[in-house]
Amino acid sequence: MGGGKWRVGSGKTNYQLIALFLASFTTSHILLPISCLSEERHLTVAAASDLSFALKEIAGKFEKDTGIKVILSFGSTGILSHQIENGAPFDIFFAANLKYIDALKQKGLIVPDTSRVYAQGRIVLAMNKKFGGGIKRLEELASPSIRRIAIANPDHAPYGIAAKEAMMRLGLWDKLKPKLIYSENIRQAVQFIQTGNAVAGILSQSVADVPELEYALIDDSLHTPINQAVAVIKTSKAEKEARAFINYVNNPEGRAVMKRYGFLLPGEF
Amino acid sequence: MDIFPLYLTLKVSVTATFFSVIIGLGLAYLMARKGFWGKGVLDALIMQPLVIPPTVLGYYLLVLLGRSGPLGRFFEDKLGVSIVFTWKGAVIAAFVASLPLFVRPARAAIEGVDRNLENAARLLGKTEWEVLKTITIPLAWRGIAAGSVMAFARATGEFGATLMVAGNIPGLTQTLPIAIYDAVQMGNTKMANILVGIITLFSFSVLYFVNRFTRGRY
Repeated sequence: MGGGKWRVGSGKTNYQLIALFLASFTTSHILLPISCLSEERHLTVAAASDLSFALKEIAGKFEKDTGIKVILSFGSTGILSHQIENGAPFDIFFAANLKYIDALKQKGLIVPDTSRVYAQGRIVLAMNKKFGGGIKRLEELASPSIRRIAIANPDHAPYGIAAKEAMMRLGLWDKLKPKLIYSENIRQAVQFIQTGNAVAGILSQSVADVPELEYALIDDSLHTPINQAVAVIKTSKAEKEARAFINYVNNPEGRAVMKRYGFLLPGEF
Repeated sequence: MDIFPLYLTLKVSVTATFFSVIIGLGLAYLMARKGFWGKGVLDALIMQPLVIPPTVLGYYLLVLLGRSGPLGRFFEDKLGVSIVFTWKGAVIAAFVASLPLFVRPARAAIEGVDRNLENAARLLGKTEWEVLKTITIPLAWRGIAAGSVMAFARATGEFGATLMVAGNIPGLTQTLPIAIYDAVQMGNTKMANILVGIITLFSFSVLYFVNRFTRGRY
């Protein structure tokens, strides 16, 4: 590619360039459908990000057993439910809070008999080991050595709401508020602490088990139970497969995985 | 490694650039050569995406194109297509974001074309279309080319509005910038590093070629 070749003439339109442009336009449109998943059977699952480890594992097993590919899209429950209201093409929604599923049900956006509570989540107090770790009580967050505390956004993320409730119950909210950093979802809060950008934080137990962190369970009487619910979305074109996946999460194999990530399961609470 | 985000990003940004160039060329010509009522307003409107936060842009698009939005309902009821949370939504976000980056240099380049040359062609009996095709566009070519490449680069990097309008669905609407965001959030540093490397290399080469095209004129 010599310099002269790429220099665009000052009198004539560069038709080579137009041709290149049109060619890339058409090829990108012809090529893409081939690489797309439209051919194989698949489920698109919207899931609260506290499930990011557990559901990935379960989806992998489900794929192996049934041959149905599961595409997981993680985010905060509030944002995902807003996307579903706006027509996002999901088959299943694993919310971190029953309230959101109920609200969607009222709007007629989910298949009514598919909604159910699949787990109860716990919040934990976590701290980066680099800063000492070993934090046990929420009161310790007031210590001046803890400059930043990560929680999920208490306006829309269920684990953020629970964290706020617990701090308010102990009368710590006003004192800690200036140090709080809100993440968009719980997985991002973990990342804030993992990287040391926040010293400590309140997380869901299911995502707190990473090498950089040490955590302690927070008494669950300090907040409203985090009942996590799931449902099949009305617009799903794969309702049968979607039902199968929900059942899979609650079968012995799925339950074993969920338990390992610290969830309480139906029948245990 | 899953190369879908790369594919999708190319597909989305090429499509968005295509529309930016076609529509933007008309707009640039209008702005450069015609005087009309409301020109200042139209100009400010086209340039908006350069100054408003991408999330605001995304919000506007979601309200407009969403299931309950006026345009969204029209598309869904009359044409049976939904825009939001599909790759089409990503294209629209990238198009709106990249349009001003094309129009600006293209307009300046058209304004820079000597009107005497156009008038000479007219005197020699050329139609307006022929004048445009043989005089104006060839002479403004550098600005148009530079604008196209800038628009393409912007479309490739579009994130905020895309995330709101198209969401983050792997294998469906997850573009490269969104895949990076996702990888960082999920603590997948290795994946993030690879993707960041790809996009950095890409943007660098784009800018390098723009500079070669334009020889420092823009």
